Amino acid sequence: MSKTILEVTDLRKHFSQYLGLFAKLSGETRVIPAVDGVSFYLRENETVGLVGESGCGKTTIGRTVLRLTDPSSGRIVFDGRDITAMSRAELRPLRREMQMIFQDLDAGLNPAMRVRDILREALTVYERPGDAEIASRIRELLEQVNLKESKLANFPSELSGGEKRRVGIARVLAVRPRLIVADEPTSALDISIQAQVVNLLRDLQKHLGLTYLFISHDLPVVELVSEKVAVMYLGRIVEMGLAENIAHRPRHPYTQILWSSLAEKQNIEVSRRVRNVTVERERRAWGVFDFEHPARGCRFAPRCPLYQQNGRPAVCTDPASEPPLRDVGKGHVVACHFA
Amino acid sequence: METPLLAIDNLRTYFYSRAKRAFIRSVDGASLSVAPGETLGVVGESGSGKTVTALSAAGLVTAAPGVIGGRIALRSNGVARDLLEGLGRFVRVTEQDGRVVAVEKDERGWRRHSEAQMKGVRGKEIAMIFQNPRAALNPYSTVGSQLVETIRLHTAAKGEREAKERAIHWLERVRIDSPRLRFDNFPFGMSGGMCQRAMIAMALSAEPSLLIADEPTTGLDATIQSRIVELLGELKQETGIATLLISHDISVIQSLSDRVAVMYGGTVVETGRAAEVLARDAPARHPYTSALLASIPSAETIRNKSYLQAIEGEVLDTIEVPRGCRFYGRCNRVTEGVRERCAGLEPPLAEVAPGHKVRCWLYPAKPS
Repeated sequence: MSKTILEVTDLRKHFSQYLGLFAKLSGETRVIPAVDGVSFYLRENETVGLVGESGCGKTTIGRTVLRLTDPSSGRIVFDGRDITAMSRAELRPLRREMQMIFQDLDAGLNPAMRVRDILREALTVYERPGDAEIASRIRELLEQVNLKESKLANFPSELSGGEKRRVGIARVLAVRPRLIVADEPTSALDISIQAQVVNLLRDLQKHLGLTYLFISHDLPVVELVSEKVAVMYLGRIVEMGLAENIAHRPRHPYTQILWSSLAEKQNIEVSRRVRNVTVERERRAWGVFDFEHPARGCRFAPRCPLYQQNGRPAVCTDPASEPPLRDVGKGHVVACHFA
Repeated sequence: METPLLAIDNLRTYFYSRAKRAFIRSVDGASLSVAPGETLGVVGESGSGKTVTALSAAGLVTAAPGVIGGRIALRSNGVARDLLEGLGRFVRVTEQDGRVVAVEKDERGWRRHSEAQMKGVRGKEIAMIFQNPRAALNPYSTVGSQLVETIRLHTAAKGEREAKERAIHWLERVRIDSPRLRFDNFPFGMSGGMCQRAMIAMALSAEPSLLIADEPTTGLDATIQSRIVELLGELKQETGIATLLISHDISVIQSLSDRVAVMYGGTVVETGRAAEVLARDAPARHPYTSALLASIPSAETIRNKSYLQAIEGEVLDTIEVPRGCRFYGRCNRVTEGVRERCAGLEPPLAEVAPGHKVRCWLYPAKPS
């Protein structure tokens, strides 16, 4: 079994909200727990998918594990080194090994620079290669991301969405990273182009031995590219396991709702167990996240069909017992008292 | 076939790009029709012209385009009226070799005439819901007051109290909880899904005959998306409103449409009954439609962890539109027998089965 490249333990990231001057003077604060106690690990050359609705903290996790924002607490170990509290100087050499593909196609592409210069800059951040080597590395990168050489002279504004994404990926590959956090890499692209990019990312993983943390709300794509999938709800992982188990044998009611709403849309056959849950789904429960007044106990209880079915058991709303992730076999973990 | 409620015929909407000194042919000869009570789904990638088609129909092409031509006929009270009628006299188009090279136009006259044409149509006969509900709602006034405004403007309920009752009734119909409380909410106090519901209520409250829904679920979360699709389906049953549904999400189109039009590069390349066009094993189908369907991960692809079938190349550049078939450069089904025609001549939208038309040289028209 390949070794662990990233290990995250009890990661928390709390943002404090500015409530105005008066509140500040009177010492009133409001804390938004965007990531609230998350643990997972990534093995080398594997892909872990991170899914959940917008606002559940997916992107914050991605940014925090790369130390683009500082965690409030918890531990991040990258390749055997604890990077949780590393200084910027200590982090700098590690940065090239962990990179991020941003959701925004234009992020990282300086609009005033030509593609050639964008790639050249990326190649010269950590090394001082000669001109000949730069030229050959650029050619290699273009080949890797399947981009025409004629595009080198273009500015980002002259590229299509798919080409921008390819340049963005080439730029990341220029520093030869080992871990890539891909934050919604396909969501801004057209369907036909999405497929190209998904294929490209999988090819690159195979050839370069990359490890991906794949953040997306596109469930079929996540299932396709990932070995393991973690489902997040309101800043916590509620279920995690092998991709096929999460997709076809989900245990947590939230995962079931997530996948069944997709299946409903795509007329996919879902197992009877999942279907029963959707029928029982509460109409009014199409939810709004409320970080300000989080539910006590299980945070999914207000939207949970199982909670309703089981006659609102007290354990679900007991502030002392937020359900922990419990192993249900084969590394499949679920945070639910009843699943 | 029934007399259509909306018939768009050979619509051309070109924009002039100063930077590129050329015309962007956003919509280039698109024809489609919506029958009363019917939902027509328009699918296509970005840049295929689906939104501009809808905006043209609603008279909402804000920048006066370089060219707008063709016919957009809307039936109201049994009479069809061309919404573009008379606009031609404000524009003088110089064509060369079948391509537009220069346009002279009286922009103010054009705009005034267009507004006069749309008066009593936009909002009343044709209502629209947009992709980003929060941007379409006025952030400075409550959802309720925006609804009341629509209702007093477009329906017989002119009184304040009467209009308010109707507004609350509409909020209830789009399944918004505690509509009386929500009436006084500002858009920022509501979630994306809730805003979209409010938009739908606003569009329907004028009791229009045609609803244009432009990407109504894009940008919403998966769980909310399926609720909005559910709601649109239910409202269609309840009100029998005709809908022009635009989406790049084939699953949304699939679950709501009676008929489908597939757009590529500003024109319709395939149209027919939804079940026929989007069926997995359709006998005749435009290569673009097949490729589009194939690029969605299927259960089988996922199980075998195989590659997705991507459409190679990029979405068509609508400035340099090729002379032949628009999809020729990306098509993987060109055979030697048709290659010459594909490259040189645009295929017609030919009927391959009753009500099913395909714009492809592989499918010659069946003699009727």
